[in-house]
Amino acid sequence: MRSFSLIDFVSLFAALRWTVALVVLALLFGAPLALGLALGRISRFASLRWAMAACIQVIQSVPLLGLLFFFYFGMPVFLGIQVPALVAVTVAYTLYTAAFLGEIWRGGLEAVKQAQWEAGACLGLSAWQQFRHIIAPQALRLSLPPTVGFLVQLIKGTSLASILGFVELARAGQVVSAATFQPLLTYALVAAIYFALCLPLTLWSRSLEARLDGSR
Amino acid sequence: MALVEIRDVRKTFGKVEVLKGVSLDVEEGEIVTIIGRSGSGKSTLLRCINALESVDSGEIWVEGQKVHAKMSDLKKFRQRVGIVFQAFNLFPHLKVERNITLAPLLTGRIEKAKARALAEDVLTRVGLADKIDAWPEQLSGGQQQRVAIARCLAMAPHLMLFDEVTSALDPELVGEVLKVMEAMAEQGMTMILVTHEMGFARNVADRIVFMHQGRVWEQGPPAKLFANPETPELASFIASAK
Repeated sequence: MRSFSLIDFVSLFAALRWTVALVVLALLFGAPLALGLALGRISRFASLRWAMAACIQVIQSVPLLGLLFFFYFGMPVFLGIQVPALVAVTVAYTLYTAAFLGEIWRGGLEAVKQAQWEAGACLGLSAWQQFRHIIAPQALRLSLPPTVGFLVQLIKGTSLASILGFVELARAGQVVSAATFQPLLTYALVAAIYFALCLPLTLWSRSLEARLDGSR
Repeated sequence: MALVEIRDVRKTFGKVEVLKGVSLDVEEGEIVTIIGRSGSGKSTLLRCINALESVDSGEIWVEGQKVHAKMSDLKKFRQRVGIVFQAFNLFPHLKVERNITLAPLLTGRIEKAKARALAEDVLTRVGLADKIDAWPEQLSGGQQQRVAIARCLAMAPHLMLFDEVTSALDPELVGEVLKVMEAMAEQGMTMILVTHEMGFARNVADRIVFMHQGRVWEQGPPAKLFANPETPELASFIASAK
Protein backbone atom coordinates (compact mmCIF):
# COMPACT_ATOMS: atom_id res chain seq x y z
CA MET A 1 0.00 0.00 0.00
CA ARG A 2 1.10 3.51 -0.74
CA SER A 3 -0.43 6.92 -0.35
CA PHE A 4 -2.22 8.81 -3.13
CA SER A 5 0.45 10.63 -5.08
CA LEU A 6 1.18 12.46 -8.28
CA ILE A 7 1.69 9.18 -10.11
CA ASP A 8 -1.96 8.23 -9.44
CA PHE A 9 -3.09 11.58 -10.72
CA VAL A 10 -1.10 11.05 -13.87
CA SER A 11 -2.39 7.54 -14.45
CA LEU A 12 -5.98 8.74 -14.17
CA PHE A 13 -5.39 11.46 -16.72
CA ALA A 14 -3.47 9.09 -18.95
CA ALA A 15 -6.47 6.77 -18.91
CA LEU A 16 -8.63 9.66 -20.00
CA ARG A 17 -7.24 9.35 -23.53
CA TRP A 18 -9.00 5.98 -23.92
CA THR A 19 -12.26 7.51 -22.80
CA VAL A 20 -11.82 10.27 -25.37
CA ALA A 21 -10.61 7.85 -28.06
CA LEU A 22 -13.67 5.64 -27.64
CA VAL A 23 -16.01 8.62 -27.87
CA VAL A 24 -14.24 9.90 -30.97
CA LEU A 25 -14.35 6.48 -32.64
CA ALA A 26 -18.02 6.03 -31.78
CA LEU A 27 -18.91 9.41 -33.28
CA LEU A 28 -16.60 9.09 -36.27
CA PHE A 29 -18.33 5.93 -37.48
CA GLY A 30 -21.62 6.21 -35.63
CA ALA A 31 -22.70 9.70 -36.70
CA PRO A 32 -22.66 9.06 -40.49
CA LEU A 33 -24.47 5.79 -39.89
CA ALA A 34 -26.98 7.62 -37.70
CA LEU A 35 -27.64 10.09 -40.52
CA GLY A 36 -28.22 7.17 -42.89
CA LEU A 37 -30.62 5.54 -40.44
CA ALA A 38 -32.50 8.81 -39.89
CA LEU A 39 -32.85 9.39 -43.65
CA GLY A 40 -33.93 5.77 -44.10
CA ARG A 41 -36.57 6.22 -41.43
CA ILE A 42 -38.14 9.14 -43.30
CA SER A 43 -37.70 7.62 -46.77
CA ARG A 44 -40.71 7.29 -49.04
CA PHE A 45 -39.93 3.59 -49.48
CA ALA A 46 -41.85 1.66 -46.85
CA SER A 47 -39.53 -1.35 -46.94
CA LEU A 48 -36.51 0.85 -46.18
CA ARG A 49 -38.37 2.56 -43.33
CA TRP A 50 -39.23 -0.83 -41.84
CA ALA A 51 -35.71 -2.20 -42.18
CA MET A 52 -34.20 0.86 -40.49
CA ALA A 53 -36.78 0.81 -37.73
CA ALA A 54 -36.03 -2.87 -37.09
CA CYS A 55 -32.27 -2.23 -36.88
CA ILE A 56 -32.78 0.62 -34.44
CA GLN A 57 -35.23 -1.38 -32.36
CA VAL A 58 -32.87 -4.33 -32.00
CA ILE A 59 -29.82 -2.26 -31.10
CA GLN A 60 -31.71 -0.05 -28.68
CA SER A 61 -33.19 -3.10 -26.95
CA VAL A 62 -29.81 -4.72 -26.24
CA PRO A 63 -27.91 -3.31 -23.24
CA LEU A 64 -24.64 -1.68 -24.22
CA LEU A 65 -22.90 -4.31 -22.12
CA GLY A 66 -24.62 -6.98 -24.20
CA LEU A 67 -23.34 -5.41 -27.44
CA LEU A 68 -19.79 -5.35 -26.09
CA PHE A 69 -20.03 -8.96 -24.95
CA PHE A 70 -21.46 -10.06 -28.26
CA PHE A 71 -18.79 -8.54 -30.47
CA TYR A 72 -15.88 -9.62 -28.26
CA PHE A 73 -16.95 -12.92 -26.66
CA GLY A 74 -20.00 -13.93 -28.70
CA MET A 75 -18.77 -13.62 -32.28
CA PRO A 76 -15.92 -16.14 -31.91
CA VAL A 77 -18.39 -18.67 -30.48
CA PHE A 78 -21.33 -18.11 -32.81
CA LEU A 79 -19.63 -17.03 -36.01
CA GLY A 80 -16.06 -18.19 -35.50
CA ILE A 81 -14.79 -14.65 -35.98
CA GLN A 82 -12.33 -13.30 -33.46
CA VAL A 83 -11.62 -9.58 -33.74
CA PRO A 84 -9.19 -7.50 -31.69
CA ALA A 85 -10.73 -5.84 -28.65
CA LEU A 86 -10.41 -2.38 -30.20
CA VAL A 87 -12.41 -3.46 -33.25
CA ALA A 88 -15.05 -5.08 -31.07
CA VAL A 89 -15.59 -1.99 -28.91
CA THR A 90 -15.53 0.31 -31.94
CA VAL A 91 -18.25 -1.72 -33.63
CA ALA A 92 -20.33 -1.93 -30.46
CA TYR A 93 -20.14 1.78 -29.67
CA THR A 94 -20.68 2.67 -33.32
CA LEU A 95 -23.92 0.70 -33.49
CA TYR A 96 -25.03 2.06 -30.12
CA THR A 97 -24.37 5.63 -31.26
CA ALA A 98 -25.98 5.11 -34.67
CA ALA A 99 -29.20 3.70 -33.21
CA PHE A 100 -29.72 6.40 -30.61
CA LEU A 101 -28.52 9.40 -32.63
CA GLY A 102 -30.39 8.09 -35.66
CA GLU A 103 -33.65 8.10 -33.76
CA ILE A 104 -32.97 11.53 -32.24
CA TRP A 105 -32.22 12.99 -35.67
CA ARG A 106 -35.23 11.34 -37.26
CA GLY A 107 -37.37 13.11 -34.68
CA GLY A 108 -35.71 16.41 -35.56
CA LEU A 109 -36.21 15.90 -39.29
CA GLU A 110 -39.85 15.01 -38.87
CA ALA A 111 -40.46 18.01 -36.64
CA VAL A 112 -39.75 20.29 -39.63
CA LYS A 113 -43.03 20.85 -41.45
CA GLN A 114 -43.61 18.93 -44.66
CA ALA A 115 -44.52 22.23 -46.31
CA GLN A 116 -40.87 23.30 -45.99
CA TRP A 117 -39.80 20.47 -48.32
CA GLU A 118 -42.63 21.46 -50.65
CA ALA A 119 -41.63 25.13 -50.66
CA GLY A 120 -38.10 24.13 -51.64
CA ALA A 121 -39.32 21.77 -54.35
CA CYS A 122 -41.54 24.50 -55.80
CA LEU A 123 -38.50 26.75 -56.20
CA GLY A 124 -36.83 24.09 -58.34
CA LEU A 125 -34.43 22.73 -55.71
CA SER A 126 -33.36 19.09 -55.78
CA ALA A 127 -34.25 16.80 -52.89
CA TRP A 128 -30.67 17.00 -51.63
CA GLN A 129 -30.67 20.81 -51.81
CA GLN A 130 -33.96 20.91 -49.91
CA PHE A 131 -32.46 18.67 -47.24
CA ARG A 132 -29.11 20.41 -47.03
CA HIS A 133 -30.27 24.03 -47.01
CA ILE A 134 -33.82 23.99 -45.68
CA ILE A 135 -34.57 20.89 -43.61
CA ALA A 136 -31.23 19.94 -42.02
CA PRO A 137 -30.45 23.34 -40.47
CA GLN A 138 -33.87 23.51 -38.84
CA ALA A 139 -33.72 19.86 -37.72
CA LEU A 140 -30.23 20.39 -36.32
CA ARG A 141 -31.39 23.13 -34.01
CA LEU A 142 -34.31 21.03 -32.82
CA SER A 143 -32.09 17.97 -32.26
CA LEU A 144 -29.23 19.72 -30.53
CA PRO A 145 -30.26 19.33 -26.86
CA PRO A 146 -31.01 15.58 -27.10
CA THR A 147 -27.89 15.06 -29.23
CA VAL A 148 -25.66 16.59 -26.57
CA GLY A 149 -27.61 14.68 -23.94
CA PHE A 150 -26.73 11.48 -25.76
CA LEU A 151 -23.10 12.54 -26.05
CA VAL A 152 -22.89 12.86 -22.29
CA GLN A 153 -24.41 9.37 -22.00
CA LEU A 154 -21.83 8.07 -24.44
CA ILE A 155 -18.92 9.56 -22.50
CA LYS A 156 -20.09 7.83 -19.34
CA GLY A 157 -20.94 4.69 -21.31
CA THR A 158 -17.32 4.24 -22.35
CA SER A 159 -16.63 3.03 -18.81
CA LEU A 160 -18.12 -0.31 -19.84
CA ALA A 161 -15.18 -0.89 -22.19
CA SER A 162 -13.14 -1.65 -19.09
CA ILE A 163 -14.59 -5.17 -19.05
CA LEU A 164 -12.76 -5.90 -22.29
CA GLY A 165 -9.51 -4.73 -20.71
CA PHE A 166 -9.48 -1.08 -21.75
CA VAL A 167 -7.91 0.99 -19.01
CA GLU A 168 -10.07 4.02 -19.50
CA LEU A 169 -11.00 6.47 -16.80
CA ALA A 170 -13.29 4.23 -14.72
CA ARG A 171 -10.94 1.24 -14.89
CA ALA A 172 -7.95 3.41 -14.00
CA GLY A 173 -9.95 4.58 -11.00
CA GLN A 174 -10.34 0.97 -9.87
CA VAL A 175 -6.64 0.33 -10.25
CA VAL A 176 -5.61 3.47 -8.38
CA SER A 177 -8.13 2.83 -5.66
CA ALA A 178 -6.82 -0.72 -5.17
CA ALA A 179 -3.24 0.48 -5.01
CA THR A 180 -3.85 3.37 -2.63
CA PHE A 181 -6.76 2.07 -0.56
CA GLN A 182 -8.33 5.48 -0.99
CA PRO A 183 -11.53 4.65 -2.87
CA LEU A 184 -13.46 7.72 -1.78
CA LEU A 185 -10.81 10.16 -2.87
CA THR A 186 -10.09 8.27 -6.09
CA TYR A 187 -13.67 7.89 -7.23
CA ALA A 188 -14.48 11.47 -6.27
CA LEU A 189 -11.64 12.49 -8.54
CA VAL A 190 -12.87 10.20 -11.32
CA ALA A 191 -16.35 11.67 -10.99
CA ALA A 192 -14.93 15.18 -11.10
CA ILE A 193 -13.07 14.39 -14.33
CA TYR A 194 -16.24 13.00 -15.96
CA PHE A 195 -18.07 16.11 -14.82
CA ALA A 196 -15.37 18.38 -16.22
CA LEU A 197 -15.66 16.52 -19.52
CA CYS A 198 -19.45 16.78 -19.77
CA LEU A 199 -20.09 20.27 -18.44
CA PRO A 200 -18.42 22.19 -21.29
CA LEU A 201 -20.44 20.12 -23.76
CA THR A 202 -23.67 21.16 -22.13
CA LEU A 203 -22.61 24.79 -22.01
CA TRP A 204 -21.45 24.69 -25.62
CA SER A 205 -24.77 23.16 -26.64
CA ARG A 206 -26.64 26.00 -24.98
CA SER A 207 -24.65 28.71 -26.68
CA LEU A 208 -24.91 26.93 -30.03
CA GLU A 209 -28.65 26.64 -29.59
CA ALA A 210 -28.88 30.35 -29.01
CA ARG A 211 -26.73 31.05 -32.04
CA LEU A 212 -28.64 28.76 -34.38
CA ASP A 213 -31.81 30.38 -33.17
CA GLY A 214 -30.83 33.62 -34.84
CA SER A 215 -34.38 34.81 -35.33
CA ARG A 216 -35.25 34.94 -31.62
CA MET B 1 -51.50 27.47 -78.20
CA ALA B 2 -52.52 28.32 -74.67
CA LEU B 3 -49.87 28.65 -71.96
CA VAL B 4 -51.70 26.13 -69.80
CA GLU B 5 -53.87 23.38 -71.25
CA ILE B 6 -55.73 21.09 -68.92
CA ARG B 7 -57.45 18.13 -70.58
CA ASP B 8 -60.01 16.01 -68.77
CA VAL B 9 -58.02 15.71 -65.56
CA ARG B 10 -59.15 13.30 -62.88
CA LYS B 11 -57.75 12.88 -59.41
CA THR B 12 -58.83 10.65 -56.55
CA PHE B 13 -57.74 10.79 -52.93
CA GLY B 14 -58.60 7.48 -51.29
CA LYS B 15 -62.23 6.97 -52.20
CA VAL B 16 -63.02 10.59 -52.93
CA GLU B 17 -62.83 11.72 -56.55
CA VAL B 18 -61.73 15.33 -56.15
CA LEU B 19 -61.38 16.19 -59.84
CA LYS B 20 -63.91 14.58 -62.16
CA GLY B 21 -62.67 15.50 -65.59
CA VAL B 22 -61.52 19.11 -65.56
CA SER B 23 -60.57 20.90 -68.77
CA LEU B 24 -59.30 24.46 -68.83
CA ASP B 25 -57.09 26.65 -71.00
CA VAL B 26 -55.19 29.68 -69.79
CA GLU B 27 -53.68 32.07 -72.31
CA GLU B 28 -50.41 33.90 -71.86
CA GLY B 29 -50.93 37.09 -69.84
CA GLU B 30 -54.36 36.00 -68.71
CA ILE B 31 -55.52 36.23 -65.12
CA VAL B 32 -57.83 33.40 -64.22
CA THR B 33 -59.52 33.18 -60.87
CA ILE B 34 -60.91 29.89 -59.64
CA ILE B 35 -63.73 30.19 -57.15
CA GLY B 36 -65.94 27.62 -55.50
CA ARG B 37 -66.83 26.04 -52.19
CA SER B 38 -64.34 24.20 -50.01
CA GLY B 39 -63.78 20.73 -51.36
CA SER B 40 -64.69 21.64 -54.93
CA GLY B 41 -61.17 20.71 -56.09
CA LYS B 42 -59.75 24.20 -56.67
CA SER B 43 -56.53 23.80 -54.70
CA THR B 44 -55.96 20.27 -55.96
CA LEU B 45 -56.20 21.50 -59.55
CA LEU B 46 -53.67 24.23 -58.81
CA ARG B 47 -51.27 21.74 -57.20
CA CYS B 48 -51.57 19.45 -60.23
CA ILE B 49 -50.45 22.26 -62.53
CA ASN B 50 -46.94 22.29 -61.03
CA ALA B 51 -46.87 18.56 -60.36
CA LEU B 52 -47.15 18.78 -56.58
CA GLU B 53 -49.94 16.28 -57.11
CA SER B 54 -49.99 13.74 -59.90
CA VAL B 55 -53.11 13.29 -61.98
CA ASP B 56 -54.83 9.91 -62.27
CA SER B 57 -55.89 10.48 -65.85
CA GLY B 58 -56.00 13.31 -68.34
CA GLU B 59 -53.18 15.64 -69.26
CA ILE B 60 -51.78 18.99 -68.26
CA TRP B 61 -49.58 20.92 -70.65
CA VAL B 62 -47.65 24.05 -69.71
CA GLU B 63 -45.77 25.95 -72.43
CA GLY B 64 -46.19 22.95 -74.70
CA GLN B 65 -44.65 20.59 -72.18
CA LYS B 66 -46.56 17.74 -70.61
CA VAL B 67 -46.54 17.99 -66.82
CA HIS B 68 -46.09 14.99 -64.57
CA ALA B 69 -44.20 14.21 -61.37
CA LYS B 70 -41.56 12.13 -63.15
CA MET B 71 -40.76 14.60 -65.93
CA SER B 72 -37.02 14.68 -66.45
CA ASP B 73 -36.68 18.44 -66.07
CA LEU B 74 -39.13 18.85 -63.21
CA LYS B 75 -36.72 21.18 -61.40
CA LYS B 76 -36.33 23.45 -64.42
CA PHE B 77 -40.08 23.36 -64.95
CA ARG B 78 -40.78 24.39 -61.35
CA GLN B 79 -38.45 27.37 -61.76
CA ARG B 80 -40.77 28.66 -64.48
CA VAL B 81 -43.96 28.10 -62.51
CA GLY B 82 -44.11 29.94 -59.20
CA ILE B 83 -46.58 29.01 -56.49
CA VAL B 84 -47.55 30.97 -53.39
CA PHE B 85 -49.24 29.14 -50.53
CA GLN B 86 -51.83 30.06 -47.96
CA ALA B 87 -49.31 29.44 -45.15
CA PHE B 88 -46.46 31.50 -46.76
CA ASN B 89 -43.92 28.72 -46.06
CA LEU B 90 -40.96 31.06 -45.71
CA PHE B 91 -37.80 29.42 -44.40
CA PRO B 92 -37.79 30.49 -40.73
CA HIS B 93 -34.06 29.90 -40.22
CA LEU B 94 -33.04 32.29 -43.01
CA LYS B 95 -33.26 36.05 -43.22
CA VAL B 96 -35.49 37.62 -45.87
CA GLU B 97 -32.59 38.15 -48.27
CA ARG B 98 -31.46 34.53 -48.06
CA ASN B 99 -35.05 33.31 -48.35
CA ILE B 100 -35.18 35.04 -51.71
CA THR B 101 -31.70 34.33 -53.03
CA LEU B 102 -31.32 30.70 -51.90
CA ALA B 103 -33.03 29.11 -54.91
CA PRO B 104 -31.64 31.47 -57.59
CA LEU B 105 -28.13 30.81 -56.26
CA LEU B 106 -28.49 27.04 -55.87
CA THR B 107 -30.05 26.63 -59.30
CA GLY B 108 -27.35 28.76 -60.88
CA ARG B 109 -29.77 31.41 -62.10
CA ILE B 110 -27.59 34.24 -60.73
CA GLU B 111 -24.08 34.72 -59.41
CA LYS B 112 -23.32 35.46 -55.82
CA ALA B 113 -22.27 39.04 -56.52
CA LYS B 114 -25.70 39.86 -57.96
CA ALA B 115 -27.74 38.12 -55.28
CA ARG B 116 -28.36 41.06 -53.00
CA ALA B 117 -29.32 43.32 -55.89
CA LEU B 118 -31.85 40.72 -57.01
CA ALA B 119 -33.32 40.54 -53.51
CA GLU B 120 -33.52 44.33 -53.37
CA ASP B 121 -35.22 44.43 -56.75
CA VAL B 122 -37.97 41.92 -56.02
CA LEU B 123 -38.51 43.29 -52.51
CA THR B 124 -39.00 46.74 -53.99
CA ARG B 125 -41.67 45.29 -56.26
CA VAL B 126 -43.61 44.05 -53.24
CA GLY B 127 -42.90 47.24 -51.26
CA LEU B 128 -40.62 45.68 -48.64
CA ALA B 129 -37.15 46.90 -49.61
CA ASP B 130 -36.49 47.92 -46.00
CA LYS B 131 -37.07 44.39 -44.68
CA ILE B 132 -34.20 42.73 -46.54
CA ASP B 133 -32.29 41.96 -43.33
CA ALA B 134 -35.29 40.96 -41.22
CA TRP B 135 -36.13 37.47 -39.99
CA PRO B 136 -39.43 36.07 -41.27
CA GLU B 137 -40.99 35.95 -37.84
CA GLN B 138 -40.34 39.64 -37.29
CA LEU B 139 -42.79 40.36 -40.11
CA SER B 140 -46.57 40.54 -40.09
CA GLY B 141 -48.54 37.90 -41.99
CA GLY B 142 -49.12 40.27 -44.89
CA GLN B 143 -45.42 41.11 -45.08
CA GLN B 144 -44.46 37.44 -44.94
CA GLN B 145 -46.80 36.69 -47.79
CA ARG B 146 -45.32 39.53 -49.84
CA VAL B 147 -41.84 38.12 -49.19
CA ALA B 148 -43.13 34.73 -50.37
CA ILE B 149 -44.33 36.41 -53.57
CA ALA B 150 -40.96 38.17 -53.95
CA ARG B 151 -39.22 34.80 -53.48
CA CYS B 152 -41.21 33.46 -56.43
CA LEU B 153 -40.56 36.55 -58.54
CA ALA B 154 -36.82 36.09 -58.02
CA MET B 155 -37.05 32.99 -60.19
CA ALA B 156 -38.60 35.07 -63.00
CA PRO B 157 -41.48 32.62 -63.49
CA HIS B 158 -43.63 32.59 -66.63
CA LEU B 159 -46.70 31.58 -64.66
CA MET B 160 -47.75 32.25 -61.09
CA LEU B 161 -50.14 30.12 -59.06
CA PHE B 162 -51.76 31.54 -55.94
CA ASP B 163 -53.41 29.13 -53.53
CA GLU B 164 -55.73 31.10 -51.23
CA VAL B 165 -52.88 33.42 -50.42
CA THR B 166 -54.96 35.81 -48.31
CA SER B 167 -56.99 33.24 -46.38
CA ALA B 168 -54.60 33.07 -43.41
CA LEU B 169 -54.32 36.84 -43.07
CA ASP B 170 -56.03 39.24 -40.71
CA PRO B 171 -58.61 41.25 -42.69
CA GLU B 172 -56.63 44.49 -42.47
CA LEU B 173 -53.57 42.80 -44.04
CA VAL B 174 -55.37 41.35 -47.06
CA GLY B 175 -55.29 44.61 -49.02
CA GLU B 176 -51.51 44.98 -49.13
CA VAL B 177 -51.09 41.49 -50.62
CA LEU B 178 -53.85 41.99 -53.18
CA LYS B 179 -52.26 45.28 -54.22
CA VAL B 180 -49.00 43.50 -55.01
CA MET B 181 -50.89 40.92 -57.04
CA GLU B 182 -52.75 43.63 -58.93
CA ALA B 183 -49.46 45.26 -59.85
CA MET B 184 -48.16 41.94 -61.14
CA ALA B 185 -51.33 41.53 -63.17
CA GLU B 186 -50.80 44.95 -64.74
CA GLN B 187 -47.28 43.95 -65.72
CA GLY B 188 -48.68 41.09 -67.76
CA MET B 189 -47.88 38.10 -65.56
CA THR B 190 -49.95 35.03 -66.31
CA MET B 191 -51.72 34.17 -63.09
CA ILE B 192 -54.05 31.47 -61.86
CA LEU B 193 -55.50 32.10 -58.45
CA VAL B 194 -57.72 30.25 -56.09
CA THR B 195 -59.36 32.81 -53.86
CA HIS B 196 -62.30 33.71 -51.67
CA GLU B 197 -61.78 37.41 -52.35
CA MET B 198 -64.76 38.07 -54.61
CA GLY B 199 -63.96 41.76 -54.91
CA PHE B 200 -60.49 40.97 -56.21
CA ALA B 201 -61.83 38.27 -58.54
CA ARG B 202 -64.32 40.74 -59.97
CA ASN B 203 -61.89 43.63 -60.45
CA VAL B 204 -58.66 41.99 -61.56
CA ALA B 205 -59.49 38.69 -63.22
CA ASP B 206 -59.95 38.34 -66.98
CA ARG B 207 -61.97 35.22 -66.40
CA ILE B 208 -63.68 33.53 -63.50
CA VAL B 209 -63.87 29.76 -63.29
CA PHE B 210 -66.48 28.40 -60.92
CA MET B 211 -65.70 24.89 -59.75
CA HIS B 212 -68.32 22.68 -58.19
CA GLN B 213 -68.10 19.03 -57.17
CA GLY B 214 -64.82 18.46 -58.97
CA ARG B 215 -65.90 20.01 -62.27
CA VAL B 216 -65.67 23.34 -64.04
CA TRP B 217 -69.29 24.26 -63.56
CA GLU B 218 -69.38 27.63 -65.25
CA GLN B 219 -66.84 30.15 -66.53
CA GLY B 220 -66.67 33.54 -68.18
CA PRO B 221 -65.74 37.20 -67.74
CA PRO B 222 -66.38 38.45 -64.19
CA ALA B 223 -69.00 41.04 -65.11
CA LYS B 224 -71.15 38.51 -66.91
CA LEU B 225 -70.66 35.73 -64.40
CA PHE B 226 -71.47 37.79 -61.34
CA ALA B 227 -74.41 39.59 -62.95
CA ASN B 228 -76.00 36.65 -64.76
CA PRO B 229 -74.97 33.29 -63.35
CA GLU B 230 -76.38 30.55 -65.58
CA THR B 231 -76.48 27.81 -63.01
CA PRO B 232 -78.34 27.83 -59.69
CA GLU B 233 -75.18 26.51 -57.96
CA LEU B 234 -73.17 29.60 -58.96
CA ALA B 235 -76.06 31.90 -58.11
CA SER B 236 -76.29 30.47 -54.61
CA PHE B 237 -72.49 30.56 -54.22
CA ILE B 238 -72.37 34.24 -55.17
CA ALA B 239 -75.26 34.98 -52.83
CA SER B 240 -73.51 33.22 -49.95
CA ALA B 241 -70.18 34.92 -50.63
CA LYS B 242 -71.64 38.38 -50.33
